[in-house]
Formats: sequence, structure tokens, C-alpha cells
Amino acid sequence: MAGGPPKALPSTGPHSLRDMPHPLAGSSSEEAVGGDSTPSPDLLMARSFGDKDLILPNGGTPAGTSSPASSSSLLNRLQLDDDIDGETRDLFVVVDDPKKHVCTMETYITYRITTKSTRVEFDLPEYSVRRRYQDFDWLRSKLEESQPTHLIPPLPEKFVVKGVVDRFSEEFVETRRKALDKFLKRITDHPVLSFNEHFNIFLTAKDLNIYKKQGIALLTRMGESVKHVTGGYKLRTRPLEFAAIGDYLDTFALKLGTIDRIAQRIIKEEIEYLVELREYGPVYSTWSALEGELAEPLEGVSACIGNCSTALEELTDDMTEDFLPVLREYILYSDSMKSVLKKRDQVQAEYEAKLEAVALRKEDRPKVPADVEKCQDRMECFNADLKADMERWQNNKRQDFRQLLMGMADKNIQYYEKCLMAWESIIPLLQEKQEAKFPVTAVLS
Amino acid sequence: MEQATPDPERQLQPAPLEPLGRSDAGLGVTVDEEAERAREEGSGGDTMTHNNFWLKKIEISVSEAEKRTGRNAMNMQETYTAYLIETRSVEHTDGQSVLTDSLWRRYSEFELLRNYLLVYYPHIVVPPLPEKRAEFVWHKLSADNMDPDFVERRRIGLENFLLRIASHPILCRDKIFYLFLTQEGNWKETVNETGFQLKADSRLKALNATFRVKNPDKRFTDLKHYSDELQSVISHLLRVRARVADRLYGVYKVHGNYGRVFSEWSAIEKEMGDGLQSAGHHMDVYASSIDDILEDEEHYADQLKEYLFYAEALRAVCRKHELMQYDLEIAAQDLASKKQQCEELATGTVRTFSLKGMTTKLFGQETPEQREARIKVLEEQINEGEQQLKSKNLEGREFVKNAWADIERFKEQKNRDLKEALISYAVMQISMCKKVGFGFNEDICIFRSTYKFL
Repeated sequence: MAGGPPKALPSTGPHSLRDMPHPLAGSSSEEAVGGDSTPSPDLLMARSFGDKDLILPNGGTPAGTSSPASSSSLLNRLQLDDDIDGETRDLFVVVDDPKKHVCTMETYITYRITTKSTRVEFDLPEYSVRRRYQDFDWLRSKLEESQPTHLIPPLPEKFVVKGVVDRFSEEFVETRRKALDKFLKRITDHPVLSFNEHFNIFLTAKDLNIYKKQGIALLTRMGESVKHVTGGYKLRTRPLEFAAIGDYLDTFALKLGTIDRIAQRIIKEEIEYLVELREYGPVYSTWSALEGELAEPLEGVSACIGNCSTALEELTDDMTEDFLPVLREYILYSDSMKSVLKKRDQVQAEYEAKLEAVALRKEDRPKVPADVEKCQDRMECFNADLKADMERWQNNKRQDFRQLLMGMADKNIQYYEKCLMAWESIIPLLQEKQEAKFPVTAVLS
Repeated sequence: MEQATPDPERQLQPAPLEPLGRSDAGLGVTVDEEAERAREEGSGGDTMTHNNFWLKKIEISVSEAEKRTGRNAMNMQETYTAYLIETRSVEHTDGQSVLTDSLWRRYSEFELLRNYLLVYYPHIVVPPLPEKRAEFVWHKLSADNMDPDFVERRRIGLENFLLRIASHPILCRDKIFYLFLTQEGNWKETVNETGFQLKADSRLKALNATFRVKNPDKRFTDLKHYSDELQSVISHLLRVRARVADRLYGVYKVHGNYGRVFSEWSAIEKEMGDGLQSAGHHMDVYASSIDDILEDEEHYADQLKEYLFYAEALRAVCRKHELMQYDLEIAAQDLASKKQQCEELATGTVRTFSLKGMTTKLFGQETPEQREARIKVLEEQINEGEQQLKSKNLEGREFVKNAWADIERFKEQKNRDLKEALISYAVMQISMCKKVGFGFNEDICIFRSTYKFL
């Protein structure tokens, strides 16, 4: 999943008025706690657990095939293993085992969340709880509230738009499970978010509803302060680097949206193609029944087309289950990131406004009042957090899309390989000489 | 290979390319020798080699198609396509071919030739013409007869038609066919002078016979069913194939939309840029590859179409048999009733209802002289009838024998040709899979190399 936290803090924005780094800048990232812990005796076990829980959706092709498909996913796995070796991981989370619950009022799905950790924040080394989508939604809102300077990963879509999709079908549940697993893993990999108390409760509490009801305010100092930023200030100009990020996100989301639409159209066309193929193959069988010498060849062609049809069906399923969800996820991600950018703008705006107000007061000894200082702190921390998160996001994005595009190319190759095999296998059948079958044809034809 | 007794008028006597001295009488021997030679050498441009009975090797090709305008029978201006037919004779010794004849013909003249052959060789499965109008089209193909792709495929179909005739042991010797290849002007008049249109069986007569015949040869009945079902299944196949082609076209073309968006996306990315550009480029190549793929598939469809139309030719032979058989049955029936009449007159008993019986009752008995006269007439008619029946029987048996021989030849040809067609279809699919798969593989290599980790 993620690369490690950046080695050095990115510098604060160009509008900094101070030369010395503010003491707040150091502690806000809180990375010291995670990175320097001595490797626990559980690490070996934890690491193998990590291997398993990082198995990619596109990986795991059968060992026997020599196709490029298997070698590419193997390569993926190796590279990720390298990452794990490179750093000490002390928190592992897996989402699996979906189960359907039928109650009087409603029917819903829960997922098992298994946590293994050596961190002090966890009382036990291992936890296993059950959560439903609502709970994930709650967690995300809490994270957005309490860590407003960070990019919170997106959740899979809440509502199913098309009435045709079955909320309880195997494919839908599996797609959702994968997305929820990714969501938690992204938080796990984040040096700040993974220590969030709401996250901890989500992973460990026996009954989450108690916490939800009590509405425990577990806001960090930063969250608290940002919460009180009034929205009345207008930012004159967004600093260059954040403007660039904003522009990038706009274009990015736009392009992904287009790709999503094209992909959906392709799936639709492929399904219609499949329908015709399913009628095409059997006609050769019908013909085969009329013939003598040609019976076997025609039957062979019919079976071959049948195999190609099945291969195509598998391809379209993969597109729907693996390709589209990731696109949608990144579109949602971009949207939430843009709102974080806006919040950052507000923080900066407030600071600049207050600073201007001070400058206009025309005192003999210009002294920066405490609250203006606080604003500056806020702004600089926000900027730092955001930049760090952006870099992390870019890394993850590169990795995710590399996997995605390679995966799709893989799946297409697999489809063409299956078709190739089917057609190659009937060539000898078609070329079979008549002599071998002479006694039969004399009777039939 | 059996041959029907060739009509001296219609067969080439002696064959113009034959060395002098050979006659049809000795054809049986000559034919076998030549068949051997022809099988070894093959005739140019023709895959069905071992039935070529031209004594000198010739090559026939329909090499060009040209749009023309002219005036039709109603003196109205029309546009049509003319096809250039070139005939070359090939020297045994050095394999060089010399252009011996070259003329232009339009589709209607080909039709005329075929209709003539159908009348004079009813026991032969006459090769079919390519379709008159484009059918089984999918959306990209134009249904317009003037469309260059259609014209090109028709040119190939017409060439195939001529080659099939030239390689048929019996048809290739036909004079009118020879003149078709060599006599530019007045050929239509020559054909019409044969009066073949008058000799053609009326469709109504044939239909009547089909329903009323009592004892057709079982093999022909089975063959008729087979050809009906073959027609039906190939039509179905062609229709669905056209729909499949249409859908496949859609799938490929929509992939083309990826090209632009990937390119635009690559513009805002740093490390990912190259990979995305390559993906976009590949999608464009992928989308444009469908045109060639489907054009190749049209060739397969044409091969199937030829046999769709061949099914109709099979039906024609069956119809002729039914007609002849029905004719025979009617003649036999007629003879039997005349014999009975004769017997009744002779013995004086009226067993069946007859007009004579009625008039006798109404107008009185006839005189013995009148009766004698009538018996004589009947006896003459019975004699004639018996002769006719004998010859009809003979004709019928000859027909069945010769027709069945040609049908066996046709079956072999059909099995060979369709197997070839299926093989080349499979090969087409294989090469398509390889080409496309290779493209995707390239993509993976580029993704792998251009994406970098931090």
C-alpha cells in the first residue's frame, strides 16, 4: 500500500513570517511514536500476516500459467514485500467474512474486522469485531471532524443507484468488502490517522453503538481549533502550490469521470456482443446435425465459440468488479480532497485578515497578538499536513493506477489467450483427413 | 466419372483447343488421361484441380470491374458495372501464359449463361452466382450495389463462378460457355437462338409435380430435405454472424474513446505520463484494427453464401427428378387406363365409368364396325404409349444415374471447401488474438517500466 512517511518535513508555505520552525509543526505529525518503537517479538508473525492481508485483487493467478499475467502480479507482490521489509509495521487490519443478518426491521451485512497490533494504544494484541457500513460511515465522519487538515480516504458509494443491482449479491458484497478493506488499510498506513482515537474505538469496541450514542468528543487540539475557524474570510489568492494541486484535482477527477463513462459503455457493448455470440455458437451445432463428414468440425467450432463466450463473460465481470470501483473511489477521493483544500484556504484567509487588521492599527511597537500567532500556527500546520498527505496520496495513486491498468491489460490478455487456445485446439480437428473416418462417412453422408 | 450423352449441338466438336482427330466417341479414354495430367498440373487460379478437362491448360480471371452508363431496353439511362474477363492459355512446356481472349460482361449476362446451363444440364448441380443484391449486411457495409467493396467481392464471386464451371467435367465442354469467354458481340443473340427459354420447365408444372409425385427416388427426397435444412441453417448463421460483427465493431470503436482521454490525462501526470500515453495510443490502434478484421471475415461469409446458393441448385436437380418421375407416372397411368378401355371394348363389359359408357346409354349402342375402329385406334395408342413409357423410363434412369454421380462429386467438393473455410476462419481468429494480445502485453511492459516508486 503506502510508502513510509516522508523522511523530512516539507517546508511551510511561502507566506511564512517566521524563520524558525514553529514548535507546533514538529508535534502535529506525531510520527515519532510509530517509527522508533523497537521491533516486537510478534513482528515475524505480524509480517507474514501482512503478506496475506496485502494480497492484491489482481494477484493470485494460478502458479502453473506461464502467461505474462502471472509474472506481473508476482512482481507486484515482490515489490510490496520489499516495502514491508523496509519498515517496521506494528498495526495490521483486515476486513473479511461478510455475513448477512436478518432482523425484524431490516436486513444488512456485517464484516469482520481483525486487528493485530503491538502499539501501546491497544490493550490487547489482537481484536476481532463486526461492523456494518453505517459504522464505517460514522468513522469517516469522525475522522473528517477530528483531523480536518488531513486527507481522509473515501468510502465506497453508500447508495446503490441502479435498482437492478442486488445489495446482497455475492459480487456486490465482495466489491464492497474490498473497498472497505482498502479504506481501513489507508488509514492504518497513515502516520497520523492511524493513531486517531475514533479509529482505535472502531477497531476495538465490542459495541460501537454505545460510543456513537454518547457522542464522545475526542477531538485533538488541532481539530478543536480548526473547528472554530469562522468561514467568513475570503482568500485573495491561493498559494501557487495549492492552486496547482487544486487544478490537478479538477482535471484528474474530470478525466476519471470520462474514463468511467467510457468503461461503462464498453461493458454494455461487450454484453450485447456476448448475447449475439451465445446465439451464434449453437447454430453451428444445428448445422453439424445435418452433416456427415463435416459434423465433427462444425461441432468443434460451436464448442470453440462457446468457450470464447465464457471467457468474454469473465472479462466483463472483472471490469465491473475490479476496474470501475477503483475509478469511482478516486473520484470521491478527489472531491473530499478539494473540500480540504477549501478549508485550508479559509484558515489562511482568516490569518491574513487578522494580520492585516493588526498592521492597520498603526502602533509604535508592532506586536503580534496571541490570536494572530495562533492563526499562523494553524495555517502552517495545515499546510504541512496537507502537503505531506498529498505526497502520500500521489504515491498511492501511482501504485493503485499502475496496478489497475496493468491488471486490466492482464485480464484482456487472459481473455485473448483463452480464445487463442480454443481456436488452436480445433485446428487439428478441422484438418483431420477423411481416410481415417471413411467407414463412417459411407453410411452417414 | 459418368457423362451424360452430350448433345452434339451443344458440345464443342471438336473442342477448339483440342488437337485435331479426337472425337467425342473416344472421349472416355481421353478424358481419363487428361484428368490425370490436369490433376498433376492444376489449372491456374483454380483450387479444384482434378476435374479440369480442358485439354490445354487455361486460366480464367475476372480481373477488373468498371462503372458504365448506357441505355437499357426501355431506352432509359442506367448505370451498371461491367466486368473484364480474361482468358489465357498456358503452354505446357514453359508455363508462360498468353492472353487469348478478353471481353467485358455485365452481371445480367452471367445470369443468362447460368439460366441456359440450368435448362440444358438439369442433372448437374450448376454453380451459383454471387448474390445480386447485398444481403446479410451489418451496419458498416453498404447495401448499395455500386459500393466499391460490394463490387470487389462480386468480382471475386463471378471469377469463382467461371472457375467452377471450367473445372466441371461436363460443363466445361459447353459451347455457349466457350463463346461466353470468347465471343464479345452477339453472344446474347446466340444464346437466345438456342431457344432454351422455351425448353425450360414451368415453375407451376414443377410445383405440381412436387406435390403429386407418388414414387420419387428416396435419395432425392432425402437430398431435398437436406438442401432445405442447409439453406435454413446457413441463412440463420449468416444473419447472426452479421449481428455479431456489428456488436464487435461497437466494442472496438468505443475503446477508441479511451485514446483521447488517456492522452489528456497523461498531460497532468509526471511519472505516470508515459504509461498513460502508451495506453492511449494502444487503444487507438486497437479501435482501428477492427476494420481489417471484419473485412477478412466477409470473405468467410462469402464462402458460406456460395453454399447457401448451392443448396438451391441441389433443389433444382431434385425438382427435375420429381418432374420426370411424375411425367413417367402420368404416362404409366394413362397407358394403364387405355389398356383397360381396350379390354372393356373387347369384352363388352363396362367396369368403370366412362364418357363412352354414358353416351352409349344415352344414344344407344355403337355398331361393331365402330367398335373395331376404336379398338384399333386404342391399340395404336397403347403401342405408342408403351414405347414412350420405355423411353421415359430409360431417360429417368439415366437421369438418376448421372445426377447422382454429379451429386457425389458435389458432396466431396462441399466437404473439402467448407473444411477449408472453417480452417481459414479459425486461423483468422488466431492471428487476431495474437495481434491484440501482443498489443496489451506491450502496455504491461511499459507500465512496469515507467511507473516509479518514491
